Amino acid sequence: MKKRTHFEFNFNMALFLILIVSFFVIAQRNSAFMSPDYVIEVVLKNAVEIGMLALPMTLVIVTGGIDLSCGNIMVLSAMAGGMVGGKLGSLAGVIVTILIGAACGLLNGVIIARARVPAMITTLATMYLYLGIAKGISKGDSIYSYPAATALGNFELFGLPIQIYIYALLAVVYVILLHRSCFGRKLIAIGLNENATRYCGIDTGKSIMAAYLLEGLTASVAALIWIGRFTSLKFDAGTNLHMKAITVVVLGGTSIVGGVGDMRGTVLATLIIAVFNSGLTVLNLAIDAQTIIQGAVLLVSLVVYEAIHRYQRNKKLIRG
Amino acid sequence: MEATEKREKKGRKRSTEAYLLLFLIVVLGFLGIFAHGFYDLNNVMSILNRFSYILIAAIGMNLIIITSNIDVAAGSLISAICIIVAAFGKMGVMFWGLLPIAIVCGMLMSALNAVIITKLKIPAMVATLAMSQIYQGVLPLLSHGSIYDLPDSFTWFAFKAKLFGVLPASVLVMAIITVIAVLFMRYSRFSKKLYAVGNNANGARLAGIHVDKVLMAAYVIAGGLYGVTGVVIATASQRVTPTMANGMEMMFIASVVLGGTSTVGGSGRIQGTVLGALILAIIGPAINYIGISPDWSNAVMGVIILVSVTTTIYEHKKKRVLPEEVGEAK
Repeated sequence: MKKRTHFEFNFNMALFLILIVSFFVIAQRNSAFMSPDYVIEVVLKNAVEIGMLALPMTLVIVTGGIDLSCGNIMVLSAMAGGMVGGKLGSLAGVIVTILIGAACGLLNGVIIARARVPAMITTLATMYLYLGIAKGISKGDSIYSYPAATALGNFELFGLPIQIYIYALLAVVYVILLHRSCFGRKLIAIGLNENATRYCGIDTGKSIMAAYLLEGLTASVAALIWIGRFTSLKFDAGTNLHMKAITVVVLGGTSIVGGVGDMRGTVLATLIIAVFNSGLTVLNLAIDAQTIIQGAVLLVSLVVYEAIHRYQRNKKLIRG
Repeated sequence: MEATEKREKKGRKRSTEAYLLLFLIVVLGFLGIFAHGFYDLNNVMSILNRFSYILIAAIGMNLIIITSNIDVAAGSLISAICIIVAAFGKMGVMFWGLLPIAIVCGMLMSALNAVIITKLKIPAMVATLAMSQIYQGVLPLLSHGSIYDLPDSFTWFAFKAKLFGVLPASVLVMAIITVIAVLFMRYSRFSKKLYAVGNNANGARLAGIHVDKVLMAAYVIAGGLYGVTGVVIATASQRVTPTMANGMEMMFIASVVLGGTSTVGGSGRIQGTVLGALILAIIGPAINYIGISPDWSNAVMGVIILVSVTTTIYEHKKKRVLPEEVGEAK
């Protein structure tokens, strides 16, 4: 067991190194990147929503599942909240947003855990479903922000935008949830061997449902910030968000087949992606080049991860 | 024991297809009564064209999913093929030149995916995810926006090549490919290897199957089929954009899954995929015709996939005896 923590520490160190190096390389090319204002207002602010999706996505992927619908949960809950909030006031908007997010997540969880439909297929179908409902209720028009969401998207506390506090809080909660709680243990056990976990007397269905419910809930919190930041939204705004969230999780060292995961890695990976996204804009690279680099980063990190993993396994074999 | 399980499995699959067929007939009958103009010649032909390009790629996707892998780069890959085909088409290359170019390009790009999956040992889901991002970034850079003002020789296949003056030629291509695929899955030795790898890759390896080679072959064949789809999609307009087919992979995966192929691998038949692709091809236009705003088409599609998959799995569960059911969770 000690071995494993040692290994995870190593991978996080590598991520941290990548983060520092890429930050300073970009900062050296363009000194404006170094200014605290830029780092806070652009680098961090732009990554908050994806980071929020990635946190519960780590839990989901650790169980061996996947959630392709998270981006569209965010869109749907933001839109429903926006429509209600515009008419009935902020409080109703916030409540509707959270409720819709929770309902969407719970629907995923129930179908996956109770009907035992593979997560990939379920969330593929609900991805269409949520996107379709968002498109249907908005009739393809933009939905506008309302006061409470605008405050969440733009308010600043002690010089930092409020969403950064929210993200930091959530990150701490999720790190504790995965690494320091019984629930996290259960999720990891499910990812390693679901049958064995069930025979140990753990209600695997309940834990899996909780993971998807958390995904829906956190996506709805991200939705509040999102619509507040952009002031208006269309139904197609969340098309590729699930891919970005999965990229962050995998880059953070969570195994896509489940059972191995590190929430701190996910947080670091979020920062790396944030630095890359805004850094490449600062370097005047086209948006397409950024997409390429993101794909390449994902690929390289997978190869490195696999190599480290194999090296560790071999070492273990020789010693054992 | 093995034989009974086999018979049981076969029975289930037959029932999946029977359900789909029933559903399809009900939908078609419903449309016949309530949707005026749905059976107009033009509409039917455009649906058939849509059906054929979805099905051609879905057959390729089916091979990959049978091996318990997946390809989420299919859409971006087809976009890439569309751009390549358009670039050659602009130079005046005829359809008969474009088709082989597209197939070879598709095979090469898909082989690259397979190399990453088999040699670098990266799970298919994330490997193809990364590749799709790379394609989506490379294409707009290389093509500098869209390719337009394409000559008539380019759009010949979509607009002029009609069987008996009405039927789109893509339907003929689709029919040929489907028949070959059904026969291939039924009689070839290679198809048995696909199922073996999907059921238990390690067991297949110990039984003497070169697993990496089988995976490579599955991806390369699928790549060729994506190439054909790419030609059908690209030639349908005089303007080809680098994002033309992005996101379509979900449609292909949905057809395969709707057709009763399990994403866990090791099962599934082409016949089911045919029905799945047909249902998905009809839904979009059909919703328009029964007077619901097209905005709802995605939602309806999601519900149909969800309901059909859940009922299939439920039926499957009901038939199983208890001890197996306990051991079933993947």
